[in-house]
Amino acid sequence: MVQAINSTLDYALSKNNDVVLLGEDIGRDGGVFRVTEGLQAKYGSDRVIDTPLVELGIVGMSIGMALNGMKPIPEIQFQDFIFTAFDQLVNQAAKLRYRSGGQFNVPMILRTPYGGGIKGGLYHSQSGEAYFAHTAGLTVISPSNPYDAKGLFMSALEYEDPIIFLEPKKLYRSVKMDVPDEEYKVPIGKASIVREGNDLTIVTYGSMVPVVSAAIEKNKVDAEIIDLRTIMPYDGSTILQSVKKTGRVMIVHEAPRTLGMGAEISAFLAERAIDYLMGPILRVTGPDTPFPYRLEDYYLPNERKIMKAVGKLKEFR
Amino acid sequence: MTEVFNGQEEKDVFLRAYSSMILSRMFDKKIVTAQRQGRVGFYTPTIGQEATQVGVSMALNPDDLVYEYYRDVPFMIHRGVPVEVLLDQIMGNSEDSAKGRQMPSHYNAKDHNFMSVQSPVATNLPLAVGAAYAIKHRKENRVVVTTFGDGSTSTPDFHAAMNLASVYDLPVIFLCENNQWAISLPVEKQTKVEIWKKAEAYGAYGVKVDGNDFLETFKVAKDAVDRARSGKGPVLIEAISYRIGPHSTSDDPSKYRAEGITEGSEQDPIVIAEKRLKDLGYITDEIIDRMKSEAKRIVDQKFDEREKIPPPKPETMYDDVYKEMTWMVKEEKGEAL
Repeated sequence: MVQAINSTLDYALSKNNDVVLLGEDIGRDGGVFRVTEGLQAKYGSDRVIDTPLVELGIVGMSIGMALNGMKPIPEIQFQDFIFTAFDQLVNQAAKLRYRSGGQFNVPMILRTPYGGGIKGGLYHSQSGEAYFAHTAGLTVISPSNPYDAKGLFMSALEYEDPIIFLEPKKLYRSVKMDVPDEEYKVPIGKASIVREGNDLTIVTYGSMVPVVSAAIEKNKVDAEIIDLRTIMPYDGSTILQSVKKTGRVMIVHEAPRTLGMGAEISAFLAERAIDYLMGPILRVTGPDTPFPYRLEDYYLPNERKIMKAVGKLKEFR
Repeated sequence: MTEVFNGQEEKDVFLRAYSSMILSRMFDKKIVTAQRQGRVGFYTPTIGQEATQVGVSMALNPDDLVYEYYRDVPFMIHRGVPVEVLLDQIMGNSEDSAKGRQMPSHYNAKDHNFMSVQSPVATNLPLAVGAAYAIKHRKENRVVVTTFGDGSTSTPDFHAAMNLASVYDLPVIFLCENNQWAISLPVEKQTKVEIWKKAEAYGAYGVKVDGNDFLETFKVAKDAVDRARSGKGPVLIEAISYRIGPHSTSDDPSKYRAEGITEGSEQDPIVIAEKRLKDLGYITDEIIDRMKSEAKRIVDQKFDEREKIPPPKPETMYDDVYKEMTWMVKEEKGEAL
């Protein structure tokens, strides 16, 4: 996935002189995950900008660039560090179109690695998607594989509102697949059905997609797996259609359970699909605790937790 | 007098500046009165800061950008923003370009190169830095002015913006309108050092000016703008003035401060301007009286006229969240209407 994002950024920089990357250690160092490797050497330090250590400044400056005809692609080194910039995201980026009656807009793509899987403890592992998804005006995306990462980013390049592009750091190097060299787009706001099935629906995204897929294949469950790809605005109609078919549903994500995306999707289904459901809507998620270092493997949803929920759902006929 | 203009040109420029200050003052008084009468919901008066804003405005070109805050009516008036635009915003009527979405004092005047106004203080400063980066990137000959009060200098945004603008040598003029009070907190409790001196810590140029005197402010601003435009990096101007009114129509300053500069006193920026212009022989008491009554007439007339405009239609509430309305918002709109 690192390579897919790197080549897409390279493409974006080559096509449009108003595209700039900015963030901490993204230039000389190529980024702490090497996502921007080689780009400063190719495009110069004025377009692949090593910034001082100030997240709110990186985001605020990007918003100002975006308001003035540029296409900034800021990187926040770890999503955990974004919170000093939260004011800029919530009160400036997200609201500028609305508060100006559509006269201003902020075409910025904020990239940031998120989630667990690298033994990062409390401050290098968080999944904060619900914070962003709860803010009207922000669009939240999380790819689960290199193909989608490139395709979604290509769509993001033409998008005219601020995007939080959450990169599951666990998948940066653990998932390999061939990505076409030619230009293609994966639409924003459209989920993908990773696997078709009839017995139950599993809604997930990001780093949990391969975890869910592996568990389902290994245990030969006839489950339909939906990868949201876009977290906000999520693809309600694809979820609804699937749940009407299977009658059973669970949501899997790393982020803490209470008021996470699972809660939103549960409410969405309770409002519209209650007549089709044979059992409860289940959530397999991280617990409502901070993200622990040594006990990471216990924290994250895994095959055992997923299969336990599958077993429970299958009791309802 | 300033060695910038000559003869008749100087007289015209100075009289126009004075005229903007008068119009702003009349506007301010009108809105405060209208708020007390229940005709306006809220307002952040600008009284006392006219000379600072008009003085800086005089030093700018029309295509320079301003990332302002919520107390910049004189700045906007002097750059030609029609009174109607300000009134429509304050009233939140259907002619307001932001469709009545923001509380009063949060203007939009993009066609006069102002940014849309936010409430959270100093969050406009990093945006101004980004705007200046874009200007430099495109090799344009423009500068960005960003305005804020003394309270804003305590925020992380002020620090971030000053530092970034300096690191990248960007053409930003940071205009601190030091009106001595951040709601109830006096500036000496806000910071231990004079604000203009903070510039040095960032490698920027800092300067202090009597913000009650529009000519002094103009001269300092002209120098600052010239510096920034010629690629010498950012400037921090501390313009010392006084918030003659309350923070907003919702607070009562008598609770936390003794009376300072009062309207019509010798330190009132408008009284200072009148003295300056009389000394130059550009104005007489008769002209002053005529200009004041004309400004009052304009404001009264426009206010009555704009007050008749109906509020925005409820369905407009759902627009402009994203370029394309999400299915969620479409559904919510459908449920409500």
